[in-house]
Amino acid sequence: MAFNFNWSPLIADTSRARDMLTTALNKSPKPPIIVDDIIVTELNLGSTPPELEILEIGDLAEDRFRGIFKMSYTGDAFLTLKTKVQANPLNTYLSTKPSFASPEPLAAAAGLTIPLQITLSDIRLSGFVILVFSKQKGLTLVFRNDPLESLKVSSTFDSIPFVRDYLQKEIEGQLRVLFMEDLPAIIHRLSLRLWSPEFQELEERLDAPHDTTTPVDALATNPPDAVDAFGNPIDDQTSNATLTLDTASEIHASFSKKNILRLAALSESQRTLSLFTPGIFEAVFRAWAAHPEPTSGAVTPALTLSSLARMQSGFASIKSQASSVASGSTGQDSHSSRPTLASANSVSAGLSLGAGRFRTHPIRKRKKRVVDLRKQKDGTEDSDASTTTTTPTVSTAPSENANVIMEEPLATPKASTDTLWSQEQSEKISEPAAPTGLLPAAPLSEPTRAPLLEKRSSSSRPPLSHARIRSTQQASSPLFRSLSFDKINQMSSSAKGTISPPCDASIASSSGGILEQAWMLKMAQEIARKVQEEKSRGFHPGTGGLWATSSSEDELDAPPAYHA
Amino acid sequence: MLDFMEHVQTAFYQASHWDVDNSYGTLNATARALLDFQTPRGLRLQISSLAAPNFATSYTLGSVGVVDGSVSYLYSSLPLTREFRTSNLDLHHVIRGYRHVQELRRPDEDWWWEIWHGGKRIDRRDTLLYGRIFLPQSTLEALYLRRLSPTRQLKVTAVSDSSLKNGGTILALLQGDFGKYSTEYMYSTDSGLLGFRGLYNFGPDPRVAPTVSVHDVGERAHGRFSAGAELYYGVLNKSGGISTGLRFTTLPNHAGFPYTMTLTLNPLMGNLSSTYSVKAGSNLALCSRLDFNFYSYESDLQFGCELWRRRNHGDVEWAIKKLRPDWKRPSAARDDDVSGILKARVDNKWRIGVLWEGRIKELLFTVGASLDLKKREQIFRAVGIELQYSS
Repeated sequence: MAFNFNWSPLIADTSRARDMLTTALNKSPKPPIIVDDIIVTELNLGSTPPELEILEIGDLAEDRFRGIFKMSYTGDAFLTLKTKVQANPLNTYLSTKPSFASPEPLAAAAGLTIPLQITLSDIRLSGFVILVFSKQKGLTLVFRNDPLESLKVSSTFDSIPFVRDYLQKEIEGQLRVLFMEDLPAIIHRLSLRLWSPEFQELEERLDAPHDTTTPVDALATNPPDAVDAFGNPIDDQTSNATLTLDTASEIHASFSKKNILRLAALSESQRTLSLFTPGIFEAVFRAWAAHPEPTSGAVTPALTLSSLARMQSGFASIKSQASSVASGSTGQDSHSSRPTLASANSVSAGLSLGAGRFRTHPIRKRKKRVVDLRKQKDGTEDSDASTTTTTPTVSTAPSENANVIMEEPLATPKASTDTLWSQEQSEKISEPAAPTGLLPAAPLSEPTRAPLLEKRSSSSRPPLSHARIRSTQQASSPLFRSLSFDKINQMSSSAKGTISPPCDASIASSSGGILEQAWMLKMAQEIARKVQEEKSRGFHPGTGGLWATSSSEDELDAPPAYHA
Repeated sequence: MLDFMEHVQTAFYQASHWDVDNSYGTLNATARALLDFQTPRGLRLQISSLAAPNFATSYTLGSVGVVDGSVSYLYSSLPLTREFRTSNLDLHHVIRGYRHVQELRRPDEDWWWEIWHGGKRIDRRDTLLYGRIFLPQSTLEALYLRRLSPTRQLKVTAVSDSSLKNGGTILALLQGDFGKYSTEYMYSTDSGLLGFRGLYNFGPDPRVAPTVSVHDVGERAHGRFSAGAELYYGVLNKSGGISTGLRFTTLPNHAGFPYTMTLTLNPLMGNLSSTYSVKAGSNLALCSRLDFNFYSYESDLQFGCELWRRRNHGDVEWAIKKLRPDWKRPSAARDDDVSGILKARVDNKWRIGVLWEGRIKELLFTVGASLDLKKREQIFRAVGIELQYSS
């Protein structure tokens, strides 16, 4: 199994990570030898990314993920800290002891504070990472073993061997504790913070100034050797430059077709309700048992946690790679060529990440693509990436349309909340081709509206939690958005499939077995009926009834705050 | 202000003729009392009693956010006769201020302590036992104090607390006071700390002085010069500490106002500290301290004062002035006219500590606050009040 991730955007801007690290280092009680705040003066993640290997994926659903990775890092990252230390060992020794049994030295414990600068470099990490994500319980990242192999500590006291050795030993010990205990706790806390509504406003405010700056586009550069899902080189003319990869040195291997197929089939199995799911031995998917929530994109925030920077960077499944190729290439497609599809792409794109990214490129249309490998029988198995612009395949189009059905009720209630939104909404209506991918960007461009949306989302029905998720994404550093959004697209699209009529569209397009087809048709009709009901119930454009319906749904559904 | 149990322990030292001041550890006790006093935090109540001359109990209830408390018991083999009732006690005993260093006392001869009865020695060494448990934390403090001989005293203190490494720590201190000089040897179980402290007093040796200078009072020194050093070494953590110190202090027969100067040096850490304390009157003491580190060039300057406020007697003032000096003035002994004692300190970083202590009816009170003028958003660092009652 192979995957690819972008390391370059992580290097670009570390000021936010530096600030977070500074606060994290000063939050916990410091050892008595440190008598001043620890300030992270320099943080460079280096140009060499860590190597990640997927060992096991235990659970995979729209709101859950559990997997084990093998990580090894031998990069050139470095970190510089500045603080003041107490040089008198007697002083630090006595400061932790009760005064009653203290020898109470007269002046032998007098303090001597020395400014200290420590540089950590040549970090060698190797270990197994267990990543568990659950929408309810946040994100847990645990190192199964001690990941720190070696580390070079250089400090102000390098000339004194005793002090140097002492510092080396102490810092290694502290880092081990950090990796094993503190880091999982910090990440978990941060993930909870991202999902809990009361912290979001805070994040939003903190982020407001950041948002005025141009977000770092992870996909700014073209990969030197981009390949599509089938290993074919992507034509630079058709697939646009939003695809990623910084330097030519960073060559990513083309992924095997076999694995792509397998994963695609896996996600298809959730999407289509097909009885003939691919045989994955000794695997039980919780998604089968539990009815997935209609809200998709729940996974996204997990991936966008800025704190997870490096870990996260590596976290991209082969699936996301495939979809990233597809979505990236379609991003620049002109919608005018096929207006019907335009509105379709909206939902899934908006859910994931498009938000931050497309804000600055409003002209670009964002479409969500599913690599539907089941169409092989139809002979339209070309990857979307290469074909969408010219020959939109039948299979993708209907499914997107289906998504629209779901999306409309979601979007309209928001419109009633404030005029800005409705303005945009009307814009969208007037221009059917307008990519819904722009929707999530709205909170960014209008910071004042964000709290409104959040307030609403916390008190209204679950579908609105999209907005919340989006804002969460915006809160996270722009660096990481790019990494995850593609994946989200994928996830959300598959999730949507379970409840929305797109199923039948995809069924129709994909000629499965007769049994399968019959079953699917039946299911699809039922689902379509439900969706229609929902739509008629929730969607009354241009009337005050929106409020009424949404409030009535308040009573039915718990606010998303409780869902999350 | 000393709490009840500390007061009882000082009474024990006095009763057993142990000179606390003749030790390197108390070289700059005056400056510490005037500059390093603790300001109370929150509310604290203490009810104590010396139920019998040998037995004392004390209960403390405190509230700093959470309610905590402590229970302590003390046993002394030596009957303590000092007045401990808050309504009658001498405020000078419980308020640490300027310390008048007394003339060195000639140590008792060993045979003075021997008590024979029926051909057998029946004298016992004076012992003090003290224990205190802090309730929510379950921290236990214990003290064992024993006069081994007229020149030696053993002091063992222990703290048991689950939060400490190894569950607690024990400090053993063997003190020797030979008048002319004093020594202290210590061992702490925590990191195997070994320590030594010594103080040498220049001038006449009290053990021989009486015979020499008895006929020539005019030539007696008005001050005393002392020098000392301390040395620590942690066996387990291979770290140590060292300091040396000098002190000059006036003796009670000094004609002018009493003053004390100390200079301490930590050669390892480059820390130099000098203090100058003066008792400018019967009600006022002033102190200053300058710390300087000649490795880091950091310096610190502190000022402190202690002021005893006395009530005016108003219309009987003229009558008191006319009292002859040798007439007894009962009110003066009991400090009845003291309305309060103000202690204040300020340093060059504008950290201020203020303490107001005194007696209201039967209660001893301590009100204090520490301020940090540099931190505008949180000027008051700590505010507190302590009330003590003992019977």
